[in-house]
Amino acid sequence: MGDEVYSDLMRELKAGEYVFTGELEPEKAGDVNEPIEMARELVGMVVACNVTDNPQSFAYVNSMAASYLIQKETGMECVYQLRCSDRNRMALLSDVLGAGALGLKNILALAGDHVSLGDTPDAKPVFDLDSTTLIKLIRTMVDDGKDLGGNEIHNPPKLHVGGAAAPGAAHLKAEVGKVKRKINAGVEYLQTQVVYYTDVLDKFFGELGKVDVPILVGIFPARTFGQADFFDKYVAGVDVPPDYLEAMRATKAIKDKEKKKEEVDRVNIEFFTGFLEHLKGTPAAGCHMMAVGYPRIIPPLKKLME
Amino acid sequence: MIAEEQKPMEEILGYLGGKQKVVVMGCGGCATFYRTGDKKAVTDMADKLTKEGKDVFKMPLPFSIQACEIDKSGVFLEKNRKELENCDALLLMSCGEGVQIVTEYMDEKMGISKSVIPANDTLGNVGGGPIHLKETCLSCGMCELGKTAGICPLTSCGKGLMNGPCGGVREGNKCEIDENKDCAWVKIYERMEKLDELDKFTSIRDPHQWSKTKRPRLFEMEEPVKIGLAAGIDAMKGMMAVTFGPKPKLDE
Repeated sequence: MGDEVYSDLMRELKAGEYVFTGELEPEKAGDVNEPIEMARELVGMVVACNVTDNPQSFAYVNSMAASYLIQKETGMECVYQLRCSDRNRMALLSDVLGAGALGLKNILALAGDHVSLGDTPDAKPVFDLDSTTLIKLIRTMVDDGKDLGGNEIHNPPKLHVGGAAAPGAAHLKAEVGKVKRKINAGVEYLQTQVVYYTDVLDKFFGELGKVDVPILVGIFPARTFGQADFFDKYVAGVDVPPDYLEAMRATKAIKDKEKKKEEVDRVNIEFFTGFLEHLKGTPAAGCHMMAVGYPRIIPPLKKLME
Repeated sequence: MIAEEQKPMEEILGYLGGKQKVVVMGCGGCATFYRTGDKKAVTDMADKLTKEGKDVFKMPLPFSIQACEIDKSGVFLEKNRKELENCDALLLMSCGEGVQIVTEYMDEKMGISKSVIPANDTLGNVGGGPIHLKETCLSCGMCELGKTAGICPLTSCGKGLMNGPCGGVREGNKCEIDENKDCAWVKIYERMEKLDELDKFTSIRDPHQWSKTKRPRLFEMEEPVKIGLAAGIDAMKGMMAVTFGPKPKLDE
């Protein structure tokens, strides 16, 4: 791993600061106006924002284009999510070069959900590389200036590569084995899937042991009951606590919009107070706040970590 | 064994639209095993097409004569040359391989160009049985089993990952795509654990070399196997023993 630092995210991680990242989701639209507006609200709150790449295999605005536009319009540093589901190794290499050329500084290398789970289920799934080999490809490109075939890259891209981890995985030992493999491949930081239970987190860190790669723990303060319910029902490895789910469900009955917002914020702050307090005592290097479309919750949650 | 299932009749009738005289040809190989091209399947199909007003000629192949083995099935095609010349379409109750090998033979060797319609959908190489069968090999041309404790992730992992599991493993170690299927990478982990080879699990496997799968793949046998009389009798004996003999005990 090289010592060069190309991004603010990596600068903060290397400095040992407690790091906060956010998440933006481009939509099925011919523009990225909404994520740009969300990014504006998050400037100064988080060091960088992930920009999702066809999450749950729903086809949205290209995440490289969205990352570039968000970064250009708002100054928010982006973590360009790149998944293997839809691109072969040639396209991935091409996209990494493109990301470098556009000035993107962080990539999150993901295998990606299977295409059959999304809104284009008849698409041919690619998965030519997996998250580990994509990490290895990016490291080879950045560090050695070469592609997987050993071909020289003129003016190699300067960016950092991260990976994902799933603390709530059904088979924790296999998951941790995979995470260690990503570390062997040269991953520079890890961001976890959403965790709601502190014991899930503790088991994960316990199984993983001490590693040199900074880990940002993913949390998902839901803006609506529907969001929380979706995670509970459809996202593998994520269990949403019934009490939290019920409290969120109860907010649906509130008709006054402002009062509803206040109550949703109160439920989230109440739930995450304990969780974030616990997080401080874990080896986590920070928190990845996947509050998609819900930037107002980040300042009070950050405050809990102070 | 190549698994297959019959297409919906609606689709078959769609292909046969405007074709009055139809030859229905079976297959004595895999399609017989899956009951999608055996003699009964040919008869049932013929009956259905007759009810639809078609003029049907049945052409089942005997057990063990596979449509795709053209030196054998070709004998039956030649024998029925007249019916093939006179038909409007040939409905072939075999796998996709059989359909194409027969089409090519008729075009190039017999000089008969007809619409050849597939009656079946081909589902892949499967093993196991007699009731539950599963696909375990992609025939990718470069076997990776030595790296993965004897379980092929390209076939058995829903995403075909060389370095899994993905983050989508469901409760009970089931696949992200299908809760009825096991996660291949958890299986690989468990086998490596049994073999005391977990160090292999965390090592990085290179991406699969798909250059070995340049399609269509051609294959040449320098000396094709000739089944002599003695070998034929031996095979029959083996078949009879398996079919009618006592089941072997596992502890023997």
